[in-house]
Amino acid sequence: MQPVPAMADAPLLAVQDLTLAIRGASVVDRVSFAVARGEVVAIVGESGCGKSLTALAVMRLLAPAVRLSGGRILFEGRDLAALPEAAMCGVRGRDLAMIFQEPTASLDPLMMVGSQLVEALRIHQAVSTAEARERARAMLAAVGIPDPARRLDQYPFELSGGMCQRVMIALALICGPRLLVADEPTTALDVTIQAEILDLLRSRVAGQGTAVLLITHDMGVVADIADRVVVMYAGRVAEIADAAALYAAPRHPYTAMLLASVPRLEAAPKGRLATIEGQVPTPAEFGPGCRYASRCPLAIARCTAEAPPLVTDADGHAAACWRSGEAATLRGAA
Amino acid sequence: MTPASEPKAELAADAVNPTTPAQPAALVLAIRDLAVHFAGRRGLFAPPAAVVRAVDGVDLTIAPGETLGLVGESGCGKSTLSNAVLGIVRPVRGSVQVAGAEVVGADRAGLAAIRRTVALIFQDPALSLNPRMSIGAAIGEPLAVAGVARGAVLRERVAALLRAVGLRPEHAGRFPHEFSGGQRQRIVIARALALEPQLVVCDEPVSALDVSVRAQILNLLVDLQRERGVAYLFVSHDLAVVRHVTDRVAVMYLGRIVELASRDTLFAAPKHPYTRALLDAVPDPDPARQRGRTRMRLTGDLPSPADIPPGCAFASRCPLVADRCRTERPDLTTRPDGAQVACHFA
Repeated sequence: MQPVPAMADAPLLAVQDLTLAIRGASVVDRVSFAVARGEVVAIVGESGCGKSLTALAVMRLLAPAVRLSGGRILFEGRDLAALPEAAMCGVRGRDLAMIFQEPTASLDPLMMVGSQLVEALRIHQAVSTAEARERARAMLAAVGIPDPARRLDQYPFELSGGMCQRVMIALALICGPRLLVADEPTTALDVTIQAEILDLLRSRVAGQGTAVLLITHDMGVVADIADRVVVMYAGRVAEIADAAALYAAPRHPYTAMLLASVPRLEAAPKGRLATIEGQVPTPAEFGPGCRYASRCPLAIARCTAEAPPLVTDADGHAAACWRSGEAATLRGAA
Repeated sequence: MTPASEPKAELAADAVNPTTPAQPAALVLAIRDLAVHFAGRRGLFAPPAAVVRAVDGVDLTIAPGETLGLVGESGCGKSTLSNAVLGIVRPVRGSVQVAGAEVVGADRAGLAAIRRTVALIFQDPALSLNPRMSIGAAIGEPLAVAGVARGAVLRERVAALLRAVGLRPEHAGRFPHEFSGGQRQRIVIARALALEPQLVVCDEPVSALDVSVRAQILNLLVDLQRERGVAYLFVSHDLAVVRHVTDRVAVMYLGRIVELASRDTLFAAPKHPYTRALLDAVPDPDPARQRGRTRMRLTGDLPSPADIPPGCAFASRCPLVADRCRTERPDLTTRPDGAQVACHFA
């Protein structure tokens, strides 16, 4: 392993030109973004845009059918993409950890909650079982589980969905990772529980400086918690911006239309929602140009012929669109 | 209105239906004092069975062409209630009338007749379609089973239904896997509309869909209602979606309706603390507004429906709770703006 250079302003995680292929089709195509220490970065997009695959690639948990065919995943300067699996096992769970969408499917149904937490801790740290158990109890308390000592000896089926999600977050946080990868952590939960889980993540970021890479399709969740947003479409990055700037003035037509199609609580009564006509292209339909061109009202001949590069402006707002200056006009299109 | 200490006292349509005119005979759906209980599990290692009161004394009505939203958290009984409308579960008491026909206690033939006037759309279109049946056959099946059409007439009806939901008639011979999630939900909607039902129960119809496709399906449901006058019972946990498609909204908590109001009244002036907390929990898709909000937070989970506390079921999570709430269950009472609320203090 090469020594890690100490760079104060280097990002915690820098994904560079990540390319993932399934049977030759690049389902994630040259994706680049960075996550700073203590930052919450959201990757948003629809099913099949590659956001979950990107998260799994960062954790090196890709299914065998998905090939990491290019790019680097620099975590604290070290390229996880090139790390042997044995070394990755020492990093995964300790330096970066992941929580999944379906908490009941991600916990071992035959193991008591406490045993799962103790196991996760003792894999990475030389602590006695008694001490690990005490740290597990403290961790359950920290994620807002009432009566944590009793919960240690319960099985996942004895807990509600919201409680299971808290246990999974406790499991991910118990070794004190610097990066938490959260793949749709609240999608399976009720809005009331979602609000509590987002509060919990927020307090962890503020208190311990844990960075979060949040994968979601919910623009409301993004607005609530993200510092920066990466918008993905059909395997490519469409736009990267600070959350406030992205919502105020999107520079990619897809982002603008996605924001316009979200139902809002204060919206007009029984009005029509703006829609994006057509469907996301399948990998077989990917052409040489912009993958959004077939659904884009701003598309011109150049868009189908030549893929626009991701261009970062002086203000740090990046978009991959030949007509990014006009994208915001689609915001109000209904 | 008098407080409904006697359930029978509030059966007049204008009481349960504050924004639509009183026409009891014309109602598409009339639910009275409905209760569905499930016996708890009785296994070798299980403790003695407890009765789960999934739905416990619900009154609701839907007028023709109206959309009633039914919202609440997982486990509040909203899916059990919609299943009771279809006659899929057997209530322990109460009545469900679909277009005047009684569902509770109906025999096989009676249910078959009722199911020609009420249809159902589920959350996951992939699970609602037989993967080995062409979509044309799937959409035509209700028509064939009911003996309404066959042969060339059936094919023409299927083609018209496909056009009505925005699909191409020439796709009738294709199979579900050849379609995207949004298209599959269009197919499910076409099949639901095949027998021209007066009521469609939509159980989380867009929850499994992506945002851009969700908007297409919601627009389609609204358009079909305008064209055909079909009524919807729209079950959802997503209040922003409910705001877009409904006329009235019922909020359910642990098997009971805690607030029932016209859509505009409910969203402009929510009264029950549970309704307010639900609305506050929906994130605003605008970072500036979302981060500036002061929100009412609920703590704790829904109590188990097998062990509903006496008094108000919401008392264990309510920020306004007082001693009275733990002993005395509040009934639905009508407020000056027409909203019905079950709370001592709201």
